[in-house]
Amino acid sequence: MIEWVARGLRTGIVTSRYPRRPEEPPRGFRGRIDVLRPEHGDAALTGICPTGAIAVDDARRVSLDRGSCILCGLCVSADPERFAFGRVYETAERRRASLVAGEPPPHDLHELRQTLGERSRTLRRSIHIRHVDTGSDGGEEWEIQALTNPYYDIQRLGFFFTLSPRHADILLVSGSVTESMRAPLLRAWEAMPEPKAVVAAGTDACSGGLSAATGVTAGGVDRVLPVDVYVPGSPPSPIALLHGLLLATGVLNDEAAA
Amino acid sequence: MSDTPQSANRLRLVVADPHELLAPQLAVVEASPPGERRLRVPLARIDGALEALVRHGGRLSALFLVSAPEPSLLAAVAFQGDLLALRAPLEGAREYPSLSRVTPAALLPERELHDLHGLVPVGQPDLLPAVPPDPDTFPRRVVGDQTFVIPYGPIRSGVFESIQYVIETAGEDVLALQVRPFFKYRALERRFAGVDLDHAVQIAERVAAIAGVAHATAFCQAVERALGVEPTRRAQRWRVVHAELERIANHLDVAVKLAEDAALSVGAARFAVLKEQIQRLRAGLCGSRFGRGVLATGGLAAGPLLEPKTVLATLDGFERQLKRDRRLLLRTASFTDRLIGSGTLDRDAIDDYAGVGPVARACGVAADARFERPYGAYVRVGGRISTVDDGDAMGRLRVRLFEIGESLHIIRQAFERLDKYGPELRAGVPASDGAALGWAEAPMGEVIYWVEVANDRVGTLRISSPSLRNWPLFADAFRGDVLTDFAFIEHSFGLTPAGADR
Repeated sequence: MIEWVARGLRTGIVTSRYPRRPEEPPRGFRGRIDVLRPEHGDAALTGICPTGAIAVDDARRVSLDRGSCILCGLCVSADPERFAFGRVYETAERRRASLVAGEPPPHDLHELRQTLGERSRTLRRSIHIRHVDTGSDGGEEWEIQALTNPYYDIQRLGFFFTLSPRHADILLVSGSVTESMRAPLLRAWEAMPEPKAVVAAGTDACSGGLSAATGVTAGGVDRVLPVDVYVPGSPPSPIALLHGLLLATGVLNDEAAA
Repeated sequence: MSDTPQSANRLRLVVADPHELLAPQLAVVEASPPGERRLRVPLARIDGALEALVRHGGRLSALFLVSAPEPSLLAAVAFQGDLLALRAPLEGAREYPSLSRVTPAALLPERELHDLHGLVPVGQPDLLPAVPPDPDTFPRRVVGDQTFVIPYGPIRSGVFESIQYVIETAGEDVLALQVRPFFKYRALERRFAGVDLDHAVQIAERVAAIAGVAHATAFCQAVERALGVEPTRRAQRWRVVHAELERIANHLDVAVKLAEDAALSVGAARFAVLKEQIQRLRAGLCGSRFGRGVLATGGLAAGPLLEPKTVLATLDGFERQLKRDRRLLLRTASFTDRLIGSGTLDRDAIDDYAGVGPVARACGVAADARFERPYGAYVRVGGRISTVDDGDAMGRLRVRLFEIGESLHIIRQAFERLDKYGPELRAGVPASDGAALGWAEAPMGEVIYWVEVANDRVGTLRISSPSLRNWPLFADAFRGDVLTDFAFIEHSFGLTPAGADR
């Protein structure tokens, strides 16, 4: 056992200091899709996207719903002048409508990071998370599990995973809500005490993603439960999930104050 | 128990040609792409035909309802290094002789075909509805006053995918265990229908995220074989690199979970650090931590973002750390004691259920699609199939730890001749028609796709996933084990419900 201790010490500190310090994604990282040029769009652009995330309105303005986007990059290869991968981790939003790209950004990223940093500093109690998979592809689970590895170590911010929904403050839901998972999901949510927040983790949870078209799933968590924070991504990276969880603590604070 | 698993020499029975073998079943040879042999039999004779193949060492790999060239039942059988496609035209019939009498490997596929497509296997003893499952109703298998049921799942204790285990126990011993998949059924096979090939690859990558490269490879190869396309050499080599990185990440994930189960905190943290290094390398290589957006029919969708020498340097550093952690892990008695003798399977169970992947290889069965039926660059790069005979959770872990080393070896070989090949990433795919099987060895075992293509669009598509094929063995592994072994046995299997449920 002493050898493991030595092994652990030799590893040194690998832990991220997010949100106090920003985290830089690698070059070419598929964090989100940005619409570089929203004007003069052709209606044919909508056909590029496998999930129908691209829309062109009557004024030929192009928008892209990040809540439906699976980050496949087919639009980037088809029209690189117009679409590009955004090299960012922080993609979570409090409102579903804010996930639509092509609109002006809702907030300044630097300011947001400062607020989140303040929030994690002043967490007066620990936040407990219950995860429920309602039909994900398994990627979200790997990234949520990664949150407890030494690189992200969310315990340092006062987040803990709990087994019982009765102890949970945040319900972290992955998947598009299949028929068989609807009742178990509702039961877990009802068992949680107030105040509580629901975080939709991943594009499937935000909109149903690729499985929305089959009609056998609910097509997103907000069809079944009120969702407080949306974390799009296929799957969202651990930092994106952490960003979403920190946004959700704001929801809890607001609810507790009300 | 030796320290390194030996490479197994697969004993090959010398028997007659499958066509001659199946002559009594009136089998007719049909034209087929290379590596796949197609035989047509009457529907009423399909059980007899499968029985003859199984008796000569054949393993039922998939049971599909296909539409081309006509609605048929298709049994894919791994037989002496070939994949036999045994096709029986339905000719309007909705009933067929049950194949689970011949091999229990047909049990779950038959129930699925019944629930999703209304095909009735005549003589199947257990046709309880499987898809979609109801979490609150389940049949009891054990009768007795002192026994009770623990329904474990679909919401699990911890961050895990949804699946339900129904455990019947009298206190400590597990008397019976039923595995109930399909809680995550998303109708993805149906989602492929009518979709163009570039979009379809995106779906294949998202059937099971942790085996996404393998699924995309199986899909692309099915299309390429159906249309007679040869992907470029450069693309084939990069596909292997991505597939082996995926394998390494999965095997490390199993080590992390097992160490957590044994409360070996530093060990779990060390292997989690190694896994994160691989995931970050994958993100650097293609922008996605799951190798997404890399594959396309005919080759690759996008070129790598890192130079081979950067990848190799990262892997060298990774391997030095891995060797120390691996040695220490296998020497930690408080850890190995929980695995040795837990969840023991015997070879007969693997043969009966046609088990695949590390679960089969830990029972001495040298099943590995990369070497049995080499595809893509595996034809040119060599590796050893690692098998052990232990059959327990420890054996499965040893196979995995050994395979990480083999995967590194394969990646290095894949890079060796890369600069000799032309820069082309993608070969042209003609807009013609065809149908074929495609396969790839995922980290959890062989994944098989049946793809019908017409005018650049997918028609009927079927998936046989290693997770669904290995799950029945899970119940078998519990003979004589107690409740506290549950986590160790489950995680040593390393399966994914998303892949099984589809």
